Amino acid sequence: MVSLKEKLLSDFEGLKIDDREADRLFIDTQKEAVLSLLSYLKKAGYNHLAMVSCTDWIDEGKFELVYIVNAYLSGDQVFGKKEKKCIVIRTKISRQSARFMTVMEIFENAEPYEREMHEMFGIDFEGHPRLTPLMLERDYKIPPFRKDFDTLNYVNNTFGKIPSIEQRKEGLK
Amino acid sequence: MDRNQISKWLKNPGKMAHKYSFHVVYFCTGCGIIEIPPSITTRWDAERFGIIPVATPRQANLFLITGYVSTKTLKAIIRTYEQMPEPKYTVAFGSCPINGGMYYDSYNTITSLDKYIPVDGYIAGCMPRPEAVFIGVTHLWKLIDMDKADGYKRYREDYVHYRANQEQLYGQMDWPPLFPVEKKEQANL
Amino acid sequence: MRELELYYGPQHLGMVGNFSITLQVEGDRIVKASANPGYLHRGFEKLMEQRTWMQNFPLVCRINVVEPDHMELIYAMGVEKLAGIEVPERGKYVRSIYCEMARVASHLFGAWAYANMLGFDTVAHWAMYHRDLLLDMFEELTGARVYHIYLRPGGVRRDFPDGFTDRLVETLHKIGGKVPDYNATFFENSLFRKRAECVGIVNREEALRMGAVGHTLKATGMAYDIRKIEPYDAYDQIDFDIHTREKGDAYSRLLAIRDEMIESVHMIFKLIDKMPAQGEVCTKTPNPFKWTIPAGDAYVRCESSRGELGLYMVSDGGSKPYRVHFNTPSYNHGLTVLEKALEGESISDVGNIMISLYVVAPEIDR
Repeated sequence: MVSLKEKLLSDFEGLKIDDREADRLFIDTQKEAVLSLLSYLKKAGYNHLAMVSCTDWIDEGKFELVYIVNAYLSGDQVFGKKEKKCIVIRTKISRQSARFMTVMEIFENAEPYEREMHEMFGIDFEGHPRLTPLMLERDYKIPPFRKDFDTLNYVNNTFGKIPSIEQRKEGLK
Repeated sequence: MDRNQISKWLKNPGKMAHKYSFHVVYFCTGCGIIEIPPSITTRWDAERFGIIPVATPRQANLFLITGYVSTKTLKAIIRTYEQMPEPKYTVAFGSCPINGGMYYDSYNTITSLDKYIPVDGYIAGCMPRPEAVFIGVTHLWKLIDMDKADGYKRYREDYVHYRANQEQLYGQMDWPPLFPVEKKEQANL
Repeated sequence: MRELELYYGPQHLGMVGNFSITLQVEGDRIVKASANPGYLHRGFEKLMEQRTWMQNFPLVCRINVVEPDHMELIYAMGVEKLAGIEVPERGKYVRSIYCEMARVASHLFGAWAYANMLGFDTVAHWAMYHRDLLLDMFEELTGARVYHIYLRPGGVRRDFPDGFTDRLVETLHKIGGKVPDYNATFFENSLFRKRAECVGIVNREEALRMGAVGHTLKATGMAYDIRKIEPYDAYDQIDFDIHTREKGDAYSRLLAIRDEMIESVHMIFKLIDKMPAQGEVCTKTPNPFKWTIPAGDAYVRCESSRGELGLYMVSDGGSKPYRVHFNTPSYNHGLTVLEKALEGESISDVGNIMISLYVVAPEIDR
């Protein structure tokens, strides 16, 4: 039986696959291949998108998008002893023009994750139906999860600048 | 009832009445709310202190700010507080509403609550245990007796300043001021 | 009929937690629901990048108020995986017992919320009292009622006190003895069945499509449980069943929770029986002030009381995490499944469906 890693290597170009860890398969890929890779894996049985995440590698000037898929297994059902249980797909996009394609056509539950990435990192997902604010109420000049967003500085400049009621009273008198 | 209290009742029946019947707004503002269900059920039984949760702020006179306040929640808190009829009291839980606590560097939680609405008392601890909540409430009784729980009066008096602080945080607010603002400003200037 | 927009929450009697839903209603029917989270957003994942590996434990348990223990567990598992730390045998058992206690306490809180929502006040009082008995056990073990901070990378903070397991068994028997009463007054009560049956149906196909996990999936007949699929700690040492239901409505979700709770109690008994009598409970870890963890990334997952809980963590070789991202079960349930499940239901069932999906707001917002 051909393992999933060999199948992936023969069907896709330019994949870097790390399978040293038990139960995990880490795949580094070009950003063009992500959609086809996800739909390929979905057909291969990895039918649950666990999460979409993002890491800000500010020194490289890249965002790393992370898609984690696993299989909906039931109880003691075994999914081929040799296969890995979770697959982590990592791809890098430019930090300056941060845009990517939505994967909602393949996995519907990617919607809130991509919405959150849009809000927290400022990544635009093309084809996403509602990229409206999810969590935040205020406008931040830099999206807050980016590494160059200094939280303590921000707190001192907004909440710290608001005077107490006593100060306001004295100021008016 | 204690016999000594009869004279107090006769002196100020209204104060005694609202003191012994705290109606708490049903609003889970933060993580401290997890200790409210044990407090109001059989084991700790808040009703012996006259505390009972009510559905709507229009019938409530005690507002428990249970823990940290995010900027999105603060808007809801201000609106809820303004809907409550007077006299109304606010008690905040933990250190997060005092100075931010462990969220001192969080970009989405405010650092001191009493800049935006008046707070009558703070209860220490994360979480404050049900006993701590009751100690806080009995202490609030004393403050009411001494007329020191005057948050709602301060809010009315200094409304222009509270509103100014709220507007500094949010920009333009999307509801009208509770008390007339312009007149007060002219009087002060 | 005219369509109206109704703001449901955050200050609303039918809302559990600080959460809000915007409903498009036509008469009493919900046409469209859109969840509006963020009232409890503290930016934990950002704050954790600014604190050291060990300093993050007090933060991480505050992500989920109802059940902080699995949050500690998942973070400890992530650090262990990145740093390559093994947990000693007895430590694994202590962890598993602790987590199952947390599961029972959390489900009792859920039962309180559900009973309180539908007006079964007697059951609500029982559930809260029994949860309090368990919190007393937690207090004896860890010194705190709600936020325990008991787990740490490499094991647990300290061993069980003398006679703790006996008192725990006694407490669990006390709670378990009430199960027939719970059944009679709540789970098999015809009033409750009328209220919860055929409400908020999420069938299996929809659940799989929307990425549901935990009891939402178990209520549709899928026994998807991380404790079986990818056993961690001591779960591969004992036998246990995963109880499923077929219909996928609010009632079967609640029954799935009840069965899981009873199974958890049995699991604690089995774990106590099999636990090694002696041994270390924690591996020695380096000085937390100077602790650096080699660069790399890890994805770990465990089964919290609401379903699969995941953590993706990146280290750049420093003394602080580079990126932490929690994948909490309520995130999917509250933002995707809830919106779909509410369509076509009546306004009075919003709280009912929301609690049956067991949406915990702080877990969504983080």
